[in-house]
Amino acid sequence: MNDRTRRTVADLALAALTLVGAGLLLVGAMDLPPPRFEPLGSAALPRILAGLLGLFALIVAARAIILHRSGAASPDAGAGPRPDPMRGALVLGALILYVLALDVGRVPFLAATPVFVAAVGLSIGRRNWANLATFLLLGFVLAFFISLVLERFLFVRIG
Amino acid sequence: MVDAFLLLFQWQNLIFLIVGTALGIVVGAIPGLTASMLIALTLPLTFHMNPVSAVTLLIGEYVGGISGGLIMAILLRMPGTPASIVTTFDGYPMAQKGLPERALALGIMASVVGGIISWFFLAGMSPSLARFALQFGPWEYFTLVMMALVMLAVLSQGSIVKGLLGATLGMAFALPGIDSSIGQARLTFGSDALLAGFGLLPVLIGAFAISQILRDAATPQRVERIDLPKRRLPIYRRDFRYVPALLRGSVIGTWIGLLPGIGANIAALVSYSTAKQIAPEPGKFGTGHEPGVIASESANNASIGGALIPLITMGIPGSVTEAILIGALTIHNLQPGPLLFQNAPEIAYGIIAAYLVANVLMLMMMWGAVRYIAQIVRLPRSGLMAVILVFCVTGSYAVNSSFTDVWVMVAFGVVGLGLEYCRVPLGPFVIGFVLSPIAEEQLRASLMMSDGNVAEILTRPYALLFLALAVLTLAWPAIAKRLGRQGKGSEEAP
Repeated sequence: MNDRTRRTVADLALAALTLVGAGLLLVGAMDLPPPRFEPLGSAALPRILAGLLGLFALIVAARAIILHRSGAASPDAGAGPRPDPMRGALVLGALILYVLALDVGRVPFLAATPVFVAAVGLSIGRRNWANLATFLLLGFVLAFFISLVLERFLFVRIG
Repeated sequence: MVDAFLLLFQWQNLIFLIVGTALGIVVGAIPGLTASMLIALTLPLTFHMNPVSAVTLLIGEYVGGISGGLIMAILLRMPGTPASIVTTFDGYPMAQKGLPERALALGIMASVVGGIISWFFLAGMSPSLARFALQFGPWEYFTLVMMALVMLAVLSQGSIVKGLLGATLGMAFALPGIDSSIGQARLTFGSDALLAGFGLLPVLIGAFAISQILRDAATPQRVERIDLPKRRLPIYRRDFRYVPALLRGSVIGTWIGLLPGIGANIAALVSYSTAKQIAPEPGKFGTGHEPGVIASESANNASIGGALIPLITMGIPGSVTEAILIGALTIHNLQPGPLLFQNAPEIAYGIIAAYLVANVLMLMMMWGAVRYIAQIVRLPRSGLMAVILVFCVTGSYAVNSSFTDVWVMVAFGVVGLGLEYCRVPLGPFVIGFVLSPIAEEQLRASLMMSDGNVAEILTRPYALLFLALAVLTLAWPAIAKRLGRQGKGSEEAP
């Protein structure tokens, strides 16, 4: 998939998701009571925003299709180093697992954090034993420091 | 004002200001980390602080964050913050010519002068502007908020439609929760977790910090050689010739900062272009010319003072960072706007006083420690990102001791990443989220006062003015295009 096609697909996906969002606003607004004590009512803003979102989504979709057919590059297309989505996905996956471990698994903060720091560090940086040890140590020191501040000063207990 | 300075110089407030400025400089110097990310991350800590200390910490971070960006812009051509992009044009060539100390000295001096000159505008204009804004009613506030949102959306980089889409999406995400006017749940779809709506802090941390880290994690970074400054920073008596350039850059920065949506980077760019246009030798710009560094750095720092004026006088954020500052004040039950000077003068004047002292602290810290701060480029990025992610999780959790907020943060991180991928600017999105409740409340109050008669707006001159400015801003790109085409046509005509 070339850059132009990727942009078009991204814009069309954005338009589709925005239309879904607009639909959700309209569905949610249907359950709201009509205005009683004031002229505008609770449902007015969701309906106005749904209308605007629908309009903008259609413009974005139309423009994406027109630009794609004309063969022109998207006017807001930018240049830069090509990203490696896998590394971003690994970090996101590690973050979700970390929050799951703390929230659902009830894993202690002091245990989960060093593993998380090591996982993120090794996902982005060089993978070797020295780095693993460094990140585990960094994670433990960080977790100890944060839990100390949270518990002693903010009276918050995490994990 | 004197009381505000006395309060600021109480040891705990001063320590927070010093810590905030130092943190801001360090974070600002690290490419990829921004002042808004730092402020969003430290916001949870301010929950348990007194409001004056909280404000001084955040203002210090803001000033330090914008100023710190010049270090890597000059030494590495890698601006620490977007505000310092223009500084790379002449700062980096100066460093390449063996003059990194001179470029840093000029950049730091210009930053401080810009900050101090914009402080005079902030201190001089804010109280009278706040008194003037007291005349505003709900119609004026509603149209002012709409004008700010439209300006933000239109003036954001990229497509106007996507800017408007971002602002509207942000407004839509602020809707779920209890509708305070009627006390009934709205758009919660039966979920108890949504009854309180999406918290400001998890949304901010998610949209800015998480999305940025996910993006940075996916972007390979080049490792470059860095020549650290070795000698002391030189400043000479002959540098007084730069006074007019400093004044010009500072005034441009302040006035551009006043306008919503035009950030410090645009202020620096306009100031640089102006300096180049009126210079006797414009060809020297971009080759390591000293006035280039001065124009950029005086304007980007001055824009902070300018942006703080509408924030404290009318509660209108000029940029994402100000939107986060509004969130900080709201957390402490303070409503930014004209009444802030009456209800909490220690905060309104405290912001003004902290801004001046933060600039002086920034000068002392950067002048004395720039060579050490520059070393942070050697920190491993992977470890830094992991540490920031842990802070994001604990910061979001600490607000309500709830993992729901953490999940909201993760979700908005993904939303932010998706929006950025689709080139929808995040600034209008976040500011739409912050301003939506205010806009709705004011519109409902306006219509109640006028018995549902929208034509009432025609009797309110300021509301009409704000509305006209919003329409003009929206139409301006098309008008400018047409004017440009006409100008081209008349040039080509024989």
